[in-house]
Order: sequence, then structure tokens, then C-alpha cells
Amino acid sequence: MWEKHIAMHLMAYLNGELPPRKAREVESHLEVCEACRTEREKIRAGMDAIRRLPLVAAPDSIWPSIAAEFGRRQPRPAAVVHWRWVLAAAVLITLMSSTAYWWLHRPLGTEWGVVRIDGSPSIGAKPLVGAGHVRAGEWIETDAHSQALVQVGEIGSVQVAPNTRVRVVTAQQDEHRLALARGEIHASISAPPKLFFVDTASGTAVDLGCEYSLIAADDGSSLLRVIRGWVSFEWKEIDSLVPAGATCRTRPHLGPGIPYFDDASAKLKQAADAFGLEKSGDTTLNVILSASRVRDTLTLWHLLARVDPPDRNRVYDHLASVSPPPAGVTREMVLKLDAAALQRWRDDLAWKW
Amino acid sequence: MAGTQAAAKGLKQNPSAAARPVTKWKKIFPYAVSMLVVRLTGRELSTQILESCRSGDRDAFRVLYEQYKDRVYSIAFYFFHGDPVSASDATQQVFLKLMTSIQQFRGEAEFSTWLYRLVVNVCVDAARSRKSEAVISDRLDAFSVPSSQEDDYQRAETARSVRMAVSPLPPKFRIAVLMRYFDDLSYEQMASALRCSMGTVASRLSRGHKMLAERLKRLKG
Repeated sequence: MWEKHIAMHLMAYLNGELPPRKAREVESHLEVCEACRTEREKIRAGMDAIRRLPLVAAPDSIWPSIAAEFGRRQPRPAAVVHWRWVLAAAVLITLMSSTAYWWLHRPLGTEWGVVRIDGSPSIGAKPLVGAGHVRAGEWIETDAHSQALVQVGEIGSVQVAPNTRVRVVTAQQDEHRLALARGEIHASISAPPKLFFVDTASGTAVDLGCEYSLIAADDGSSLLRVIRGWVSFEWKEIDSLVPAGATCRTRPHLGPGIPYFDDASAKLKQAADAFGLEKSGDTTLNVILSASRVRDTLTLWHLLARVDPPDRNRVYDHLASVSPPPAGVTREMVLKLDAAALQRWRDDLAWKW
Repeated sequence: MAGTQAAAKGLKQNPSAAARPVTKWKKIFPYAVSMLVVRLTGRELSTQILESCRSGDRDAFRVLYEQYKDRVYSIAFYFFHGDPVSASDATQQVFLKLMTSIQQFRGEAEFSTWLYRLVVNVCVDAARSRKSEAVISDRLDAFSVPSSQEDDYQRAETARSVRMAVSPLPPKFRIAVLMRYFDDLSYEQMASALRCSMGTVASRLSRGHKMLAERLKRLKG
């Protein structure tokens, strides 16, 4: 009876939910009862196991559907309203609509706040003292000792690192765009996808709700490292989808390279960086295939569209051996680069990324 | 208590943020600073946000959504055997229900308790209405890794094993275990969300964890 009583309290004891006196009783009993100690270890093993489950980030696609419903499903009072109030409300709504229209369509040149973090950053060649504003068309420049923080409209902020030159291209509610000529920025954006863009000489980073660092070198190449969420790195018809924990390089005239996870092997990362630069991609492809883990399906999936048909067979076989395509996605569809099939497979793979 | 723990977690996740001079930037960066405050103080700010949500402020609702979405999604994700479509549907339903009923929330109970009651309702109702948990086998197959590579993928393999062990738990045990783990709710909060006694919460957690451990042992064996 006593043992059963303690067994009933073991979970609460391990969760720290028992009052001190009861907890002491349980402890005393555990010292003398092997059966209850075994029971405790079982529960503890379950608790240890559940802690291995990682938190999964909610996809960005959920919020837009909620936002779309927001206006329609807001509860409205069902009270009877006098016609004068209706008239007043109509006038007010007209005024508000006009204001909203003006706000949404106001000309380029909306200002963003900028704060000096360190040193002497400049905006449009004028030194920034304390805080100021930047408009579309103006450059923000930092030297080796200066840094600045830019508030990007109402969607987030961008930290401008030392030795950086970046221009505000568009500062509108439906498009926030920077051009990074050189140096490094760190963007933290909390907004629906495709509202924030950063152009570089070899590709455009399209925010899909995320936090990332972007470095642009003088030779036109750039390096994207995503910390949270997703970024699409695009150039002409090529795009690389880069999730949190992954990196992607771009090269002038070649666009975005193959993304890879930062915890991938050095061999794989080196090969992914070199892929597309050599005349025959055989060597780098062989290295990537031999060095890839389950998580590196990110790299393999991107390779499908970047290799020639004979090599696509090899990439398909390797990818399918690691993680078979979902039902309805066939080898033929993938080899033909059927967009819908590739996306379905990617969606299936993405939870492992 | 859970609120304090969650706030403490927030500070652990972003220790440097606590030292930032918030007031200095407040005039220039009202939005960025408000986001920072949300991160720092966790649920304590929810009262202000809730007030704005009740008055139909979409931005406030977005903040609320951002604060809870990953935890709600994770619970749904593992509850529905790693099915991202079901998890997305459930998360969307939870926040849509929240949106339409938030005016009824008067603050008598803690907000998270109320939110998780919606999570429980949505998840358990969906599980009941689905003809089966036939999805389990399909989804779990997708978790599998070729055995020749197991040594190289230890971390993924461990998480996979735990997911496989969580999936067959009866729904009421599964939801209890996931809620406790992903939001560290107290027994009192869980009892309110699950509409049962604290003793029942303890019992479901205890049985759920033991079943999980036994299942894992079998998988490893």
C-alpha cells in the first residue's frame, strides 16, 4: 500500500510539484525501496528521452492564412445602431481609407531610423551623430571602427558591420530593399515572406521570415549564413533555399551556389563551394555524394537541378537511398525537373533540415 | 511559476539582450524595442498585448502568434506523428479560434492555460475525427535512415527513435507529455487545460513517460 502510494507521487516528485514535506517522505522511501527506485528510473528515462525532441519552427506559410482571416472573423457587436452613428462611421471609414491609401502609396523616400552603434558611420556622406534617418537612394557607410543599426520600416532591423557600404533602394511597406556593395550586414526580420530583399552583385537574398548574415566581397561574390527561418537566394533563373543553420555562397556570373549545413563535413562544404567552378563537376560531385549525411539532403536536393542529366541519375539514386521520395513523386518526374514534384520532395525532406 | 520559468528561459536564450540600453533607442525604434521587450519578459507582456488583441489590433495578434507559434506547432507536429500538414492545420485552427474568442478572455486564468486548452481541443478532436492513426506507419517510415549510415547519424537517429516512441502513446498521454515538455506547464495549468484533476495529470504523465521508456527500450533492443 505504502509503495503504491509513493509510486503515485513519483512523477510529481521528479517534476518538483510536491510540497517539501511530501517530497521528503518520497525521498526517505526511495532510500529503502528498490521497486520504487526502479519505477523512478523508468519515468526518468522517459523524461530524458522526451528532451531529445527538438522544437520545430512553425512554417512561415501559417501566418498569411491567419492574417487573411483576421479582418473577416473579428467578432462584431450585434447591437442596434442609430442611423446617425452609421453615417458618422461611414465618414470615419472614408477618412481612414483615404489615409490608408495615402500611407500605402506614399512616394519613395520614406525614412528609416538609423542609430550609431560604434565609431563614425555616415549616411549620404554626412557623418551620423547619435541617431538619424536614411531615405531611399542614400548610402550608409561604415569604416573599420564603426557600426550602425537600421530599423527597416516596421518589419525588423539590420545591423551594418564595419567596412560596409550599403544603399537603401526601396523603403515602402510592400517592398524593403537594400543593395549591399561590400561588407557585412546582419538582418533580423519578423514579417511575412518576400517583404525584405538585399541585392548583391551576384544574387538577391529574399527574406522568408528570418535572421541572417550576408557578406559581400569586392570581387562580387557573397556569403549568406541563415540563423533563423529561411532565405531564398536568387539570381536570374537560379535560386537556392537556405534554412537556419545553413550557408550559401554566390559567385559573379554564376549566381547562388549549393547550400550546405554548417555542421556538414569540411570535405562536403569545400566541394559544395567549388561545385560549378570547375570544367567537369565529377570530382566535386563524387565528394559531395560520398560525404553526405541524412541532413545533407539539403545539398543533394539542390544538386538535382544543377547537374547534367547523366549525373542527375546519380544524385537521384543517392538522395532516394537516403530519403525516398514521397508517394506520387516518381523518378521520371524528378529527372525531368518537374517543379511540383521537386517541391513535394523538398517539403518532405525539409523537416529533417 | 511556469511563466517565471519561461521568462528565465528567454533570458538564457538571449543573454546579451538583457544588457542592451533599451530606453535610449525607444524613440527611434519603437517596433524593434517592443520586440526586444517581448523576448526579454516573455509572458509578462502578454497582458498588454492581449488588451490590444481584444481591440482588434492585428499587429498585437502577430506578436502573440510569434510568441507561441513554435511551441504550439511543435506539440501538434509530434502529436500528429511528424506530419507537417496536420501540424500546420492544427496550428492555424488554434490561432483562428483564439482570434475569434479572444474577447472572451478576461484574464481570470493564465493566458497560456487558455491557449493550451484550445491546443488540446484541436489536436484531440482532429485525432478523433480521423479514421485512424494510419498515418503513423507512413510518416514513421519517412523517419527511417538506412542502417549502414546509422553510426554517422547518431543525433538524427536518437530523435527519430524518440519520435517513434512518442507516436503510439494514447492521445491523452501523448498530449500531456508534449505539453509538459514544450511549455513546462505546471500541473495546475495542465489540469485546467486538459480539464482533469492534478492527480490525473500526474498519472497520465507518469504512465506516458514509462510507456515511452519501455517503447524506447524495445526499439533499441
